[in-house]
Amino acid sequence: MKIMDTDLNTVHVFKTDIRKMDTGCAMYHKLNDHKDIQQWSIDHDDIDCVLRVVSETLQPEAIITLISDFGHKCQELV
Amino acid sequence: MRLRDIDKENLVIANAIDQIVQDGFQGFSMNKLAKACNISVGTLYIYYKDKDDLIQKIGATVAIEFFSRTIKNFSPEMSFEEGLWVQWVNRADFTMKYPRKVAFFEIIKHSPHGEIILNSTTKFSDFRTIMKQFIDNGLHNNEISPMTFEAFWSVAYGPLYTLLNFHTDGKSMGGKPFVLTRKIMKEAFQATVKALKP
Repeated sequence: MKIMDTDLNTVHVFKTDIRKMDTGCAMYHKLNDHKDIQQWSIDHDDIDCVLRVVSETLQPEAIITLISDFGHKCQELV
Repeated sequence: MRLRDIDKENLVIANAIDQIVQDGFQGFSMNKLAKACNISVGTLYIYYKDKDDLIQKIGATVAIEFFSRTIKNFSPEMSFEEGLWVQWVNRADFTMKYPRKVAFFEIIKHSPHGEIILNSTTKFSDFRTIMKQFIDNGLHNNEISPMTFEAFWSVAYGPLYTLLNFHTDGKSMGGKPFVLTRKIMKEAFQATVKALKP
């Protein structure tokens, strides 16, 4: 049973404290315009505000740095 | 290297269906599901973006499975009576074999997810085309009376679903124990065909 075609190794998930995000804010633009990020989403309804990033090249550490630079907590979920 | 684990995916699907049938969408969460499957919540998010994404993907999987079963051994070129009987048998077999999936499908159908799922793949319009062709043939060959689509559908499948609901509940009117047999199904089917004839 095939759920989706994305290569699982390109999906990175993180526990964050991003309760909500305006579509106009700097972090939103940073994630949206990043050339190495193919897809991203945050589950604001979840207790862990899980950030999900699909990127063929970025390592989890780079994504953690990117989010931390905006003053948010970000920890890889394994 | 992260490898796709089909057993794990199927376990997630089975548990999600169970939890949603039991507790509805409100009581359902990614954390609860991960716990029931003995996997980390992180693993769940690898496969699905969020709760809605999960519900819609699993809903589409179940819906495609259901519609594919309904057209097993079926062709729109069959005579109306023969084709409708194949559909009745297929729908009954699926409902009796997978009552949880059918209950889940019913919940989804009556929620805002239903429409999103139906628009998510062209497969559903393929099923609709097959059914439309079957009904058109029945009309063209003078096997059925012309009537409003919804009226047709309620007569053609309503009796079957009433019987299946009795069967799933294990009882009929007034709590009388009930098990659906092919003989009872055929009885209702013959009355249905008679009602649809010109």
